[in-house]
Formats: sequence, structure tokens, C-alpha cells
Amino acid sequence: MAIIVRLDDKLYERRMTLTELSERVGITVANLSILKTGKAKAIRFSTLEAICAVLDCQPGDLLIHDPSQPTEE
Amino acid sequence: MIRPTNALALSSLAICGLIGLNALYAVAIGSLLVATLAYPTFLFDALLGLDGGDHWQVRAALRGVVVLGLAGAYAIHRVLRELQAIVETVRSGDPFIVGNAQRLQRIAWWVLAGEGLRVGVAGLVWCAAQFVPSVDNIDVGFSFAPWLAVLLLFVLARVFDHGARLRADLDGTV
Repeated sequence: MAIIVRLDDKLYERRMTLTELSERVGITVANLSILKTGKAKAIRFSTLEAICAVLDCQPGDLLIHDPSQPTEE
Repeated sequence: MIRPTNALALSSLAICGLIGLNALYAVAIGSLLVATLAYPTFLFDALLGLDGGDHWQVRAALRGVVVLGLAGAYAIHRVLRELQAIVETVRSGDPFIVGNAQRLQRIAWWVLAGEGLRVGVAGLVWCAAQFVPSVDNIDVGFSFAPWLAVLLLFVLARVFDHGARLRADLDGTV
């Protein structure tokens, strides 16, 4: 997919683990892992809002568009 | 009160029973067809005992009814098998899948085929009755309900298909 999730980078910047983020945003580690590995098909605004609030960042810091990547059917 | 898991187990058991009964029915009418070919005089005397037993058209029509009955048994078998597969997906905990929508659609087609066979049987019986003067009123048993059921099954299959695709989309939503 041409949308790249940079959750890993942001977690590294904030020195935070996925488990810690999971506890703070109230989303399971399994779901966050799906998001982190780029396997998610969609993200709810409420999820995005919670992650941005905890990581103190903007949606654009987490999601980028890479046109060189193949587009999902 | 029956718990859902028990109800599903009972449904599965009931469907297995119906498949068995349907197979017995198929064997019985298959035997009848063989008997009409092997012992035609004895069988038609016993079956008809009417003044139309001598007409070859009546005999052919009755054999046709038996053949359509066999085809009907196969249609019922297919419906029950598809239904059994749907019940199994409910038991496994994930019934809202595209596969079940396709199964529902196949059930709709088989029920439609069954109704077509019923019309065929009614037509054959009506034709046969023309050669039996003592039978002046044949009730072919036409009803709108099965046709409505076919329509509902097709609509339900489409709704299920749409719902399953929406569910698949939601599966990847975080």
C-alpha cells in the first residue's frame, strides 16, 4: 500500500513501547501491531486522535504517502 | 430454554437426519422406477387400478413423475448440504463470510429448480389425468409461497454478501 505508517519511528522518538502505548490509548497491542506493520485497511479518527494525543504529534507525522509503493486493489 | 450451542448441535443433527430421510426417499422412488420397468403390468395394476392403466401415455407420465421426483431428491440433498455448511460456520463462530452468501444463493437456485420440478410434475399429472375419465378434477397444488421464498432467498443472499464484504472491511480497521 502507498500509505506508510511511521508509528515505529514515533515510538522510538518518544522512547515508548507498543505495550505502553496500548495501555495509554486503550487499543489492544494486536491492533496496534496491525497498524504498525502496515496491515491495517483503515484507521478510525478516534484511534488516530488517541495516538496523536499520547505521542504528542500530528496525523501527518504518523502517516505518509509514498507513490513508489504499489497501490492496494 | 435451549442454549444457542445446543440449538446449533440439534440443527446439525436434524439436517443430518433429513439428509438420511431424503436418501431413503430417493432409494424408494428409484426402486419404484426400476419396478415400473421390470414389472410394469403388476405395478401399474396396483398403482392405477383405474380405467386409464392401459394407456401408454399414463404409464409414461407416471414414470416421468418418478424421474422428476429423483431429480427433486437431488435438489433437496444439495439444499440440505449447503444448509449444513452454513450451520457449521455458525458453530465455528464466523458465519458472516462471503462463502455463506454464495451458499445462500446456491440454495435459492436449488429451491427454484425444485419448484420448476414441481411444476413439471403437476404438468405430467394433469396430462395423465386426461386419459383417465374417472379422474375429472386434479389439484396440482400451485402456491405462491415457495416462489416468494425463492425471491426472498435471492434477496437475502445479496444482503448477506454485502454485509460480509462490509465485515471484511471492518476486520482491517484499527
